[in-house]
Amino acid sequence: MNAIRNYMDNILKAVTSTAKGMGITLRYWALEPSITVEYPDRLGKGVTAEDLVSERFRGFLGFEPSVCIACLQCQRVCPTDCIKVGTEKRDEVRFITRFDVNQAKCMHCGLCVEECPTEALFFTKRYEGACFDMEGLCFSHVGEPVPAAKRKREDGGQE
Amino acid sequence: MEQYSAAEKIYELFSEKALALGIPEPVLVIAAYAIPCLVVINLIQGAAGMLTYAERKISADIQNRIGANRVGPFGLIQFLADGVKLFLKEDIIPDAADRKLFKLAPYIVLSSTVLAAIVVPFGGSFIVADLNIGLIFIIVVSSLLVVGFLMSGWASNNKWALLGGIRSAAQIISYEIPTALSLLCIVLITGTFSLQETVMSQGLWPWQWFIFHNPFSFVAFFIFFVSALAEMNRTPFDFPEAESELVSGYNVEYSGMRFSIFFIAEYGSIFIISGLAAAVFLGGGNIGLDPYESPLHMQLLMVGVFFAKTVPLCLVIIWVRWSMPRLRIDQMLTMCWKYFIPIAFACLVATAIWLLVFNGNGIFWRMPAP
Repeated sequence: MNAIRNYMDNILKAVTSTAKGMGITLRYWALEPSITVEYPDRLGKGVTAEDLVSERFRGFLGFEPSVCIACLQCQRVCPTDCIKVGTEKRDEVRFITRFDVNQAKCMHCGLCVEECPTEALFFTKRYEGACFDMEGLCFSHVGEPVPAAKRKREDGGQE
Repeated sequence: MEQYSAAEKIYELFSEKALALGIPEPVLVIAAYAIPCLVVINLIQGAAGMLTYAERKISADIQNRIGANRVGPFGLIQFLADGVKLFLKEDIIPDAADRKLFKLAPYIVLSSTVLAAIVVPFGGSFIVADLNIGLIFIIVVSSLLVVGFLMSGWASNNKWALLGGIRSAAQIISYEIPTALSLLCIVLITGTFSLQETVMSQGLWPWQWFIFHNPFSFVAFFIFFVSALAEMNRTPFDFPEAESELVSGYNVEYSGMRFSIFFIAEYGSIFIISGLAAAVFLGGGNIGLDPYESPLHMQLLMVGVFFAKTVPLCLVIIWVRWSMPRLRIDQMLTMCWKYFIPIAFACLVATAIWLLVFNGNGIFWRMPAP
């Protein structure tokens, strides 16, 4: 008798659990709205792609030459060697001659941004980088050589 | 003279003119059968395309996504873009594969679907060939699927593909039995294997359908529907192509158009199985008129009624896929051999006893006067 009861229980369980599961999906199918936000449909009318992402979004790297002390930490720490910094000493003043970021190689790990002592390197919210040539993703942030900023700790701090 | 199929109708329409032109009769017969066959093949292609679109949209709705909406209005012609993409893909045949079998397998799988479509009555007189063994024919050609799956699995020379093929053999052969037994319940009532006659002996209203003939045919409908899901390898019974276990199963080595032929066969068989369920259990395209005597616009209405029953069943099949997780292989075989087959047998015997006791009448359905 026990076996028969088990058998019937199994049938009942199969039917009810199937009905329950399909009821849940039916509710989602018919009632719940889709929560996906499609990116190109929301652009225009003053809304740019940058407005759609969150505050801490890791987009392309941005560079502010006026505070860069040319310590080359970012170039050293980069796992993919996508940052190339060139410096030159003219009349006892260090100049930054190049600051190139290859965004095609960058994996947005954020090590360089963490490492940067003066926050000269930071993440922007820009991410629309589609182009027909890989060269289009190599950004030169410094055109004319600019003098590097003074280091803050001249009094025996680590140079 | 009674007309039993679209092919015979075409033959009658053109026979006088063609014979006067000196076209030999065998050519005319072949042409008369080839035209509806081509129409049916294209119907299956179109249905498969629209079902892939429906699958994407419904799965998206269930998962709170949006789904295809870029190609055409609401993404309606997305499947054409997919088809063009698959045509342009490289056709790769592995070096170690058995080339002849590898090339042959997709066509066998597709032909099993298309052959089944021959005997499905699309309402009115629109049926390619009304065989008097229609239901047996469908059961036989749907087991041709196993040959194609095993062939593709073996010819790929790939362990995953072979496992998928062997699983499909175990699955399809086991689930053929409950499918056939549940269809036999209806054969007992009508006394014929012909699908057109099965449709004609039902009526327009739900209580004239065979699903409500007696309580056992009601159970038989669900057994037929679930085991048909298993027979065409749909989730929750998609063991031959279990994505998480077998990568992609029997079709793992296929690419380009050969892969898409498997795809068309899968979605085409959804349509065919829904059409079969609609015709046998849900009255098909019957609106209470004689399909061969009524005028053309009434026949087109019958086609509309048939599709109005088939399309919701297709949607239910898609809905099941996105609700149910895949079973384990032993659970699947337990379900077949310990539950479906005994219940289907019980339904068959109980239907026979019911017919004996109530003199062939159902709860509402009445035996037509001889």
